[in-house]
Amino acid sequence: MARAPTNANKAAYLFLAPFLVVFAVFTLYPLVLSGVLAVQQTHGPDHARFVGLDNFIGLATDPLFHKALGNTIIYTLGSLLIQLPLALGLAMLLNQPSLRGRWFYRLIFFSPQLMGLVFVAMLAALVFEKRAGLLNQALQWALDGWLDPETAFPWMAVLDGVTWLDFPWLQSFVMPALILVSLWMYIGYNMVYFLAALQSIDKSLVEACAVDGAGPVTRFFAVTVPSIRPVASFVVLLSLIGSLQLFELPYILLDQTAGPQNRGLTIVMYLYQSGFEAGDLGYASAIGWVLALMLVALALGQVFIMRREER
Amino acid sequence: MTTRHERIGALWTAALSPGAWVIALLAIGSGIAVLAMPVRDEPGLEVWIFAFEHGQMYEPVADEWTAETGTEVNVRVFGIPALARRVMGGFFSGIETADLIECERQMVGPMFAGPVESVGFTDLTERIEAEGLMGRINAPSFTPWMSRGRVFGLPHDVHPVLLGYRSDIVEAAGIDMSEIETWDDFQRVLRPLMADTDGDGRPDRYLLSFWENHLENLEVLLLQGGGSMFDMDGVCTLGSERNAEILAEVLSWCMGDDRFCTEINEWSNAGHMQTIEGYAIGYLMPDWMCGIWMRQMPQLEGTVKLMPLPAFEPGGRRTSVRGGSMMGIPKTTDQPDVAWELIRELYLSRDVARELYESNGIISPVTELWDDPMYDEPSAFFSGQAVGRAYIGEAPNVPPRPASPYYRSAQLRLQDAAVITGERARAAGMSTPEEILPLAREALADAQASIERQMARNVFIGEDE
Repeated sequence: MARAPTNANKAAYLFLAPFLVVFAVFTLYPLVLSGVLAVQQTHGPDHARFVGLDNFIGLATDPLFHKALGNTIIYTLGSLLIQLPLALGLAMLLNQPSLRGRWFYRLIFFSPQLMGLVFVAMLAALVFEKRAGLLNQALQWALDGWLDPETAFPWMAVLDGVTWLDFPWLQSFVMPALILVSLWMYIGYNMVYFLAALQSIDKSLVEACAVDGAGPVTRFFAVTVPSIRPVASFVVLLSLIGSLQLFELPYILLDQTAGPQNRGLTIVMYLYQSGFEAGDLGYASAIGWVLALMLVALALGQVFIMRREER
Repeated sequence: MTTRHERIGALWTAALSPGAWVIALLAIGSGIAVLAMPVRDEPGLEVWIFAFEHGQMYEPVADEWTAETGTEVNVRVFGIPALARRVMGGFFSGIETADLIECERQMVGPMFAGPVESVGFTDLTERIEAEGLMGRINAPSFTPWMSRGRVFGLPHDVHPVLLGYRSDIVEAAGIDMSEIETWDDFQRVLRPLMADTDGDGRPDRYLLSFWENHLENLEVLLLQGGGSMFDMDGVCTLGSERNAEILAEVLSWCMGDDRFCTEINEWSNAGHMQTIEGYAIGYLMPDWMCGIWMRQMPQLEGTVKLMPLPAFEPGGRRTSVRGGSMMGIPKTTDQPDVAWELIRELYLSRDVARELYESNGIISPVTELWDDPMYDEPSAFFSGQAVGRAYIGEAPNVPPRPASPYYRSAQLRLQDAAVITGERARAAGMSTPEEILPLAREALADAQASIERQMARNVFIGEDE
């Protein structure tokens, strides 16, 4: 026999009700509907056909989805393997008490975060432009005469006879361009997390380590890394999720396309193109579910690793 | 330690606290205010368009029409992506949009992806046939707005493409452009202009603003040369031999020591500076681009001329087409007849045609208006040429562009094919059309397979046949 709700439960439900209603209407209901859409093909409100797992099977054999997945993984690796170590390095540098004007540098490195991503993408499109772009102008000024692109990248036939002014960032080097922009955008953001973690390290541990004769490298791996591990794990998870959801930056940088040869196509961009440009809502829903499962798997993996380390 | 009774009391006290009451009252008050807010229901016709300039043209005509009929016209301008999202959202969910919508060509493909009866626009075929408009409007202009033999919009334009060139540079070099009939002539006759006078080992300028990754110009040249992306039955033809030949030909223009093309961004300030400086001699110019050049690069006045595009072979087509828009009536409107009357007023009016040409350089698709003397007036910007007449001269030869839900995808796959072929050819040191042709065939076959795979997934295609 079910127990009657107590007054305490009733009060708790009363407090929870606004959130539960909003969650049910704006999250749960669309989620269920997107699950239904993922096994359908639709056109307008009156035409829907049940297609079973065809949308998912289509994804498994779709070269464009594979391309989007590959690009997203490259970008994610770029974020994790380049951006985070640099952010940590920067945080350690700006954590040095002897460095004058630390607050100013922290502000400078964090300031790109104050700009909207759309604005950053538009700015970056100008920076990477051929001939007139700031980056190519700088490369031409710095390298012209002693190193040309053909010599620098001898395996890239696309650079044959190309000057630094014409370096094709947004044609042939889309992922490096995206990683560079996000490096500029997010390095300060991640640095703030690492800085907070570094400042919470117990100084007596570092001093004890130094007294025991440990050098900077040993101190880093023996004290610093274990101390900042919880924050680092959090930053890694945030970067993973953010990288897998990459969309606005390449979409605007590449003039609302995926760029030549789909070099800037990401999973979310493909979802958007399928649903809102091609009008295939079922296929877009299937992409959304695959992405959601990937994110859930990553989050679970992260929790698993954290718990194992705690034990 | 608190008892259970005390905990319940504390919870209820919190629930009945002044803060909770303020929040509850605010929620109730704002809810009532939103419910009481009158739904914006302006009388008359709601028209959604994507170009500010079009709004300026339509305003006086709409005012006049309102004075005659008593029906108000509310024109709203959106950016193309914003309009596309609104229209798609409305059509896919069955909610009301506007009484009339002006669509750009790339917006309409997905609208035709389902059964023909599910297209969100009203089928205008009977109206158009009953009023004899098929004969009054330039025939190729209808093709982008047709699906399975039905017409869903009245065309706004023709958009033929001519070759714009820097007449000041060409004439200073004593070159006679009338010698040019084909693209081979073009590069042969103009080649002396590619001299390297500053000694940096590279030409000071190039002959044509075109590059393999320029999606629209690739399509322009493909269509000019007799290629296509879909046939009239909606079958994908990307992998055709003709397409491969044209792709190989135009890619050879961008390769090797003899390349005569360069990439100039046609929308950026930097690109405009290069155009003004004469970094390229020739440009693929649809009629609408004339208006843009006149507004954005007035420095070029008197230095530019137009001529028909050089053909791919003697006697070949001397024009192509780029862009286009139409006006259609969503099925959700409750005034389709009034909406149709307004379309006719806007699109068939001589006044609007005149404004369209004078403000934007765009020629009307209504053939009976082509005898208007305004099209013969010399343009100071284009060195005294009768620009309108030049475009009208080629308008009947504009290639058809059969509509397909997959047209945009096909454009993108064509671009992919061009880029990958270009890269492979460069890696192999190829630069002639004959060398590049096998690579082009292979890349286009892949592109076609990709589109066919996409089409095969559509369970609605074929249901109407």
